[in-house]
Amino acid sequence: MSIITRSPFLYRINTGSCNGCDVELATTAMIPRYDVERLGCRYTGSPKHADILLVTGPITARSKPYLLEVLDELPNPFVVVAVGTCPTSCGIFRDSYSIEGPLDKYVKVDVNVPGCPPRPQAIIDGVAKAVEIWKQKIRNQK
Amino acid sequence: MSGFLKIAIRNLLKGPTTDPYPFGPTVIPDKLRGKLKVDAKACTACGTCEEVCPSAAIHITKNKNVYVHTTWYNTCCFCGNCEFFCPTGAIKLTNDFHTANTEAEKYKFITVATIAEVKCEKCGKYFTAPSRELLERAYPKVNESVEKFMNLCPKCRQKEAFERLHK
Repeated sequence: MSIITRSPFLYRINTGSCNGCDVELATTAMIPRYDVERLGCRYTGSPKHADILLVTGPITARSKPYLLEVLDELPNPFVVVAVGTCPTSCGIFRDSYSIEGPLDKYVKVDVNVPGCPPRPQAIIDGVAKAVEIWKQKIRNQK
Repeated sequence: MSGFLKIAIRNLLKGPTTDPYPFGPTVIPDKLRGKLKVDAKACTACGTCEEVCPSAAIHITKNKNVYVHTTWYNTCCFCGNCEFFCPTGAIKLTNDFHTANTEAEKYKFITVATIAEVKCEKCGKYFTAPSRELLERAYPKVNESVEKFMNLCPKCRQKEAFERLHK
């Protein structure tokens, strides 16, 4: 079994979210109180560098092409985390005319973190699970 | 300058402010709205929670002689409407926030409470028994004469009450 020397990069996309989950994501990433970098991952500005994709929002009709674009640009293997109730199952927006979700219509989701918004600790839980799945995927690829 | 020194020394003495959560304990507020806890003994399967749930996370289905109260957390928005509107106080939101789950367990991430029906003492028909919490809400004082009606189905209860009045 080989040792993974690289750290995973996180990339987040907002697909019509109310910004509640984005604030919680910013909290986990930026303030030292819930430091997500302790798990060995960092935020990146480009989906081409990303290993873990964090999706917030119920995938509105307007934001859907941008999400598909990001999904095309991700390098293999990647892990998808649905942050919040909206991408997981559309929650209270289900069956709305402008909602094209949930996320698992378009890509194989690996971890769901429901909550409206989820706590920073719950997001850290989800990211920790995603890192484990990512390591497993790399091992399977080799 | 002295103000800066004061803060620097205070921060040195305080130690790191990082929450040690995945590797250590964390602070959980008591009023945090997390997973549900349904008290099956207090619940009367009235369906109020199913009605008020904005994201349709709660479903009450009837099996043979039993009501199954299911809550699916992957669509729950933890608003607390069910707790607020529950007439008997059977639903309580705990402060358990561990909601991260993998895709394999997406549709199994539920809590289930089974509310059993009670057999009527007189006619033997099954019916949902009024819980003690409901009686305390309905009557100013719950005494033996009220408790006697707990094990009777609505029709037998009507009959019994009528007979008691006119004898």
